[in-house]
Amino acid sequence: MAEATNTAHSKDKPHDHGTKRYFIVWAILIACTILTVKTGYMDLGSYNLPLALCIATLKATLVVLFFMHMTEAAGTNRIVFVTSFVFMLVMIFGVFGDLWTRSEMSLPYHTPTTEGPEIAVPEGATPPAHHE
Amino acid sequence: MSSSDGHAQTPRHPQLAGHFDTIGQQDYAARLGMWLFLGTEVLLFAGLFLGYTVYRHFYHETFHHCSRALSIEYGTTNTIILITSSLFVAIAYWAVKVGKKPMALFMLALTILCALAFLFIKYLEYSHKFEVGELPGKWFRAEELMKYPAANMYFTIYFLTTGLHAFHVIVGMTVLAFVMKGIISGRYRPDYYVPVELGALYWHLVDLVWIFLFPLLYLI
Repeated sequence: MAEATNTAHSKDKPHDHGTKRYFIVWAILIACTILTVKTGYMDLGSYNLPLALCIATLKATLVVLFFMHMTEAAGTNRIVFVTSFVFMLVMIFGVFGDLWTRSEMSLPYHTPTTEGPEIAVPEGATPPAHHE
Repeated sequence: MSSSDGHAQTPRHPQLAGHFDTIGQQDYAARLGMWLFLGTEVLLFAGLFLGYTVYRHFYHETFHHCSRALSIEYGTTNTIILITSSLFVAIAYWAVKVGKKPMALFMLALTILCALAFLFIKYLEYSHKFEVGELPGKWFRAEELMKYPAANMYFTIYFLTTGLHAFHVIVGMTVLAFVMKGIISGRYRPDYYVPVELGALYWHLVDLVWIFLFPLLYLI
């Protein structure tokens, strides 16, 4: 029953809107692209990345909602897609928890390595031969 | 309402597979399958974005200087090309639904042209990187960037993410070409357009990934 109503919804609704909304979304996406390039050239210090990510998220939301018709999608499909983003955030922030709380010595550039172009190992970073 | 009664007298939809009762049920299953697949695609790229996050955290300065080696002009052009191609696909999907067959074909042809333009610009970018040696791992030989630690990691991530994305562009192009074939043969019509919808969804995902790749790689 639930399936029947959902598909009926997604079949009946979209017929009445034309292509106008696609052009509006496209114009906003292009404007956002220009904005993100312009702000990318500016030096905003630590605000550059959060700003770029906010603009990208806004653009992605518009694409998902209107180009991908998430507004008309069945509830199950919305849950499925949004859940993947939730788990992506869990993964990224889980790893961030590790990165933020690491001690200096466990950072990769404190370990001498043979691969890659010269990695400077600070003088004081070599572990002591013995400890009291 | 039980599933098997009441369908005997109505003729079966020509595209209805034997294991479905109604075309609505088949559409529902196809859409759910596609969204599930798109979810796994998001998670696939999420792994690469995570790698990016970790290395950028450790080598913040390196990533900033290496991103200057990319051409923002090429990146911006490609962003605009992909967004516009997404518009074309969205119009094509609408055109199939309302029965405007020539318009749908024209829009899909434009989309494939956009995809080719995107890949051509990608080729220009890659060939320049090969020339100056801004390459992953042991192939890295760009002297002016050697002074930054782990500069090759930036290019490993650059080639992995944009390469996988370019592969998705090629797959998306192929899918849309098959969709065009189906429209020409009259298989996809206003009463059966779900395959067009799913092909369009895939193409929008390609756009979606690029929306995040572009600022993270080019504008940092």
